[in-house]
Amino acid sequence: MSSLPMTDPFASVSPLIQAVEQADTATALLVATARLASQLAGDDPPAPAAIAALVQVLGFNNPGAAVAAVDGLIACGEAAVAPLLDNLDAHNYGARAWAVRALAGIGDVRGLELLEQALAGDIGPSVRRAAARGLGQLRSDALPAQERREVLERALTALEAAAADGEWVVRYAVVVGLESLALALTPESGGSDGELRQRALQTLTLLSQPDQDTTVVPLRANQALGRLNPAA
Amino acid sequence: MAGEEHGPPLTEAGEPISEAEALRRLRQTDDQSLQYYAAWWLGRMRSRHPDTVPLLRSALRQRQPRDPGAGVEHNAVARNAARALGKLEDGGAVPDLLAALEDDDDGLREAAARALGELGALEAVEPICARLASGPAGAGAPQTNSPKLQEPCEALIEALGAIGVADPAVVGVIEPFSGHDRPLIRSAAARALLQLTAEVRWGEVLLELLEHPQLQVRRAALMDLGAVGWRPALEPIRATLAENSLKLIALRGLVEQGSGEPGLEALLGAMDDLL
Repeated sequence: MSSLPMTDPFASVSPLIQAVEQADTATALLVATARLASQLAGDDPPAPAAIAALVQVLGFNNPGAAVAAVDGLIACGEAAVAPLLDNLDAHNYGARAWAVRALAGIGDVRGLELLEQALAGDIGPSVRRAAARGLGQLRSDALPAQERREVLERALTALEAAAADGEWVVRYAVVVGLESLALALTPESGGSDGELRQRALQTLTLLSQPDQDTTVVPLRANQALGRLNPAA
Repeated sequence: MAGEEHGPPLTEAGEPISEAEALRRLRQTDDQSLQYYAAWWLGRMRSRHPDTVPLLRSALRQRQPRDPGAGVEHNAVARNAARALGKLEDGGAVPDLLAALEDDDDGLREAAARALGELGALEAVEPICARLASGPAGAGAPQTNSPKLQEPCEALIEALGAIGVADPAVVGVIEPFSGHDRPLIRSAAARALLQLTAEVRWGEVLLELLEHPQLQVRRAALMDLGAVGWRPALEPIRATLAENSLKLIALRGLVEQGSGEPGLEALLGAMDDLL
């Protein structure tokens, strides 16, 4: 972690933000975004202007730069949640997918509603798949028991509904989401956890059955079941 | 080649229709856009109804001009019928597809070639080789006033790879295309040659194309590696600058078509990271 001057805590990232704003080729944007993202990962707190710059990059149709921006935003954690939610672009599927992916990686429960909506109704399979993965990774441990149960049940219900998605990649992501959700539900933490875990296992069992367009989804579902039931 | 999906022109989801409705729409001939959608639907849903294949075979014989105003391609219904027949695993359609392979419409030849490849139709090897025999300077020469080549080389070459007759004569027809001017044709040739010969050098050609400056070429190389299932490509695929969606399709191919190392654990783990 670098020590920052007291006068302007964000001075060190200003030139990096400028480089992102002024990049005039795809490669320059990628390089500038990666530099800004890796700098931010070490800053605490991250500069709001830098977060805003990374959020903007998600809309530029530059996959390489977007990957770097998502990594940077995930590293920023909670600080990036509000800027991401406030800047969703309904007309740019690519940008939405990256934003959902960033929120999924951050795992903040403020993203729950967006992830539910994205998984249930977004026309882009890439958005639905990112949402499915994210719903399995919401960090609910710090919440009061009642709220935690509600968050996990909503996430589970959304994943159960998406198990019938027409796109194999979404079903694959549902498997991954269910697996991580179920791994977080430890049987010792009470009856309601056990019940949710059982539901997750049921859907995974359904997804482990032969599938008419792909073998990779049942393969992954079986892998998940093996991890959840090491004895079986 | 990435363009495998020829969904309905309006919306991806469309309104859900039943199999009976799809068959009704394909049977009527007044509204070709309904037939177009129905043909796509029956292929996509892998319809097993006894009327499906016969109706698609007669749709394959339908001809219609292009209608740019309505966004309708030349012989749209026939082309979609060919694509659907490729997905239905019914060898009865092969003679009609072979006839379509001789059509004047190169778009229909392209769709027929892909379908014959998907069906693994051995009977198609000879006619496809005949179409490619003139090499990059003949079949692979550009048409005047069009970005297309004389023959739909990419589809023809990929079909030979999919059918999988590893005869030296077939390899000999494809190999000259590995030096074609266009990287997409080189990619198709390397894909087919890797499928037929399993020689590492053709996999290496595809790995080089993953680093091509044009995104479109990198995408095609991803699809081609996935189609072959060449597992040594795992790390280069992860490192390619392209959408995760395409990398996921490529890795699915490595899981489903490939064998050996890296194994399932590594492949599935890489897929999880891309979601």
